[in-house]
Amino acid sequence: MKRQPVQKREKKEHHGFAALIRDPYVILAGILVLGALLAIFAPVGDRDGITNLQFGLDLEGGSWIQLEFQADVVTVQTPVDISAVASSMAKTLDCTVIPIDLGKVEVDKKFSEAELKAAVEKAGAVFIGTETGVGKDTADSVKRILESKVNSLGTNDVKVNVLTGISGVAQYVRVELAGVDMQEAQEIVGKQGLFEIRIQTVGDETEHVLYGDSVISVQTPQMDPATGVWGVGFTLDDAGALAFQQGCIETGATRNPAAHNINMYLDAEEVYSAPLSYELAASISKHPVNALSASTGTGEEGKQKAQELEVHLRAGALPVEVEIAGSGSTSAALGDYFKIICIIAGIAALAAVALVVYFRYRVPQIVLPMVLTNVSEIVILLGIAVFIQQLDLAAIAALIAVLGTGIDQLVIITDEVMHEGKVPSKVIYTKRLKRALLIIMTSAATVIIAMFPLIIMDLSTLKGFAIINILGILIGVLITRPAYGRIVMEILSKK
Amino acid sequence: MKKFKYDINRYDPKKMMAVPAALFAVAAIIVVITFILTGMPVTPGIDFAGGTAVTLQTDDSKEEIEAYFAGYDLQSIEEGISGSYYLKFGPMSNEEMMEFNDYILAGYPDAGIDQIGANFGETLQSQAYLALLFAFLGMAVVVFIAFRKLLPALTVVFAGIADITITAAVMNLFGIELSLATTAALLMLIGYSVDSNILLTTKVLKRQGKLEEKMEGAFHTGFVMTSTTFCAILAMFFVSLIGNVPTLYSIAAVLLIGLICDLIFTWGFNAGMLRLYIGKTVPAGGRK
Repeated sequence: MKRQPVQKREKKEHHGFAALIRDPYVILAGILVLGALLAIFAPVGDRDGITNLQFGLDLEGGSWIQLEFQADVVTVQTPVDISAVASSMAKTLDCTVIPIDLGKVEVDKKFSEAELKAAVEKAGAVFIGTETGVGKDTADSVKRILESKVNSLGTNDVKVNVLTGISGVAQYVRVELAGVDMQEAQEIVGKQGLFEIRIQTVGDETEHVLYGDSVISVQTPQMDPATGVWGVGFTLDDAGALAFQQGCIETGATRNPAAHNINMYLDAEEVYSAPLSYELAASISKHPVNALSASTGTGEEGKQKAQELEVHLRAGALPVEVEIAGSGSTSAALGDYFKIICIIAGIAALAAVALVVYFRYRVPQIVLPMVLTNVSEIVILLGIAVFIQQLDLAAIAALIAVLGTGIDQLVIITDEVMHEGKVPSKVIYTKRLKRALLIIMTSAATVIIAMFPLIIMDLSTLKGFAIINILGILIGVLITRPAYGRIVMEILSKK
Repeated sequence: MKKFKYDINRYDPKKMMAVPAALFAVAAIIVVITFILTGMPVTPGIDFAGGTAVTLQTDDSKEEIEAYFAGYDLQSIEEGISGSYYLKFGPMSNEEMMEFNDYILAGYPDAGIDQIGANFGETLQSQAYLALLFAFLGMAVVVFIAFRKLLPALTVVFAGIADITITAAVMNLFGIELSLATTAALLMLIGYSVDSNILLTTKVLKRQGKLEEKMEGAFHTGFVMTSTTFCAILAMFFVSLIGNVPTLYSIAAVLLIGLICDLIFTWGFNAGMLRLYIGKTVPAGGRK
């Protein structure tokens, strides 16, 4: 492109194959096909089959469980501070209510709209509306808790996704466990750990104080704005608070905090260890304290530790109640069977397409490049899918649809450039190719736009369908179809 | 392609438009009736209505399977060719579901189970409606930008709406339920249906030459084009029908129906409309 004269000379020198392998589109398409094959087949890491493709649960075997949060996000309009509204509502409804932004509070139990409205009005605010779900912070901590639970099992292929609506309220969380059947999946998700607090007595010795059943609530990590120290607040029931007080006094932690760390364990593994603060030591020596806070330090590190500690304090229990909204499982055997059907369907579709274009054009010089272009589109698509999208049944359907539309557009190009069976001059050819590509671009734009909502909405399996569709169209429009245009030009002008 | 006797230039444009328009009217009535009866334009499957679906691979006969699940609310059982079955059950509570899972896996350890709660189904429903709405609006915007002429653009958008409506009606007639998969297929039809319409409208409005020749050329290309997609999807349909993979064959069926509607609408309605439009705006032959 930089040196026009040289290019022109080159073009005159090379014809047919020689010109083709110098065309940027053809080169790009070739490189991508090779790269894709490498991505699909190169033996890296541990993998199950002969390819690196990632498969969805319905092809690989595994289970998914989708949980619905039994909580409400209430939108209010308030003349007073939102936290005042939240604390008033918490009293009325007798549950935890936290403000999540200036006009929204999260109520951690499910109430009817009338109950919520009454509570909001009692707090002196105007009720705007309510949605089932939780705010971002709670959704994040649910995700962390579920992840730590499934990871502790050593299952490697696990996905936990919070499904957030357009309004920013998370209503569902979806857990996908590859290679795990339904019974096991339900056990894992429902499993709770054993949380214990012990106090250091002498040297490495510790003494039991209380178990996780005494912890009645855990807050999300917060930073003390004055000191910049992160911490997790939690509340003990009265019996727990009393046991904690007695433990501290007996071991001497109230008199000499530094020598008697408070240790926390999850399933017998130490997750936190720090001394009482002097203030707390002083007040605990006088009376039991229910509301405690474990600080974890400053900055990013402190925040991360706080988040981990929150998960441990909850011992696998979620901050809000959940209900199973949907679930599904596919056995490995059924998944293998589906895979075989998909491969047969793909080959049959390709054969069908090849037959149709053969009957239409009857010249192998056109049919062959057409089918090869189509195959290379699919190969590139699969190559990219290795990195960004797992293939499930819906995605395979999209793949076969891409195969069909891909050929469609090659037909448009071929007919446009081969007008009346004559091979036009290069100038006219290029003009026609551009026109054909314009038609293709317009229809590609509509398909992309029609599929786009599916990506944003996260309608579970349909996301893959939409992504594969859009990707297939983009690869075709941007790379392989222009390349095909050049190839056909060279082939036709040779005749 | 002399075999196809449809001569796009011979028929009266109004008649060309009348047949698809009548089809659309009938389809609209079917869809409205279904909506009144079920609350959705197409009878909803378990994805939207809630319920449980079980896929089995077994040597057992249909009767044996029915007997095994006698204690449960078995609503339908479909049989594939190679000993595979697709069973549907009514909605269950969480506890019933857990117990049901154990029962299935005890008898058929390789079963595939899918369960959707009624609430979740409703959420999916409202999201699917939104997706459909946005897809249509987006498509309309692209079409208007591409053609910048009101009537031709409206015709293409209408062809898309009609395509979806007729497909929905035919789904009802054939008993194909609305699931997440068929919703995706319907959305895809929005893209497909404008495909050949864009080809036709672009060729007729933006190219030089005689209207008859442009129509003929566009039809020629468009027909081959739709038939290649059709054949690819037909192949997928048969393979997945024989193998009994509902996700695949329901998507394929919807796309096939939609592609046929698309042929009728592009080459009947839109072609007729374009001939009328060009006849009115410019005398035959001369376009810029």
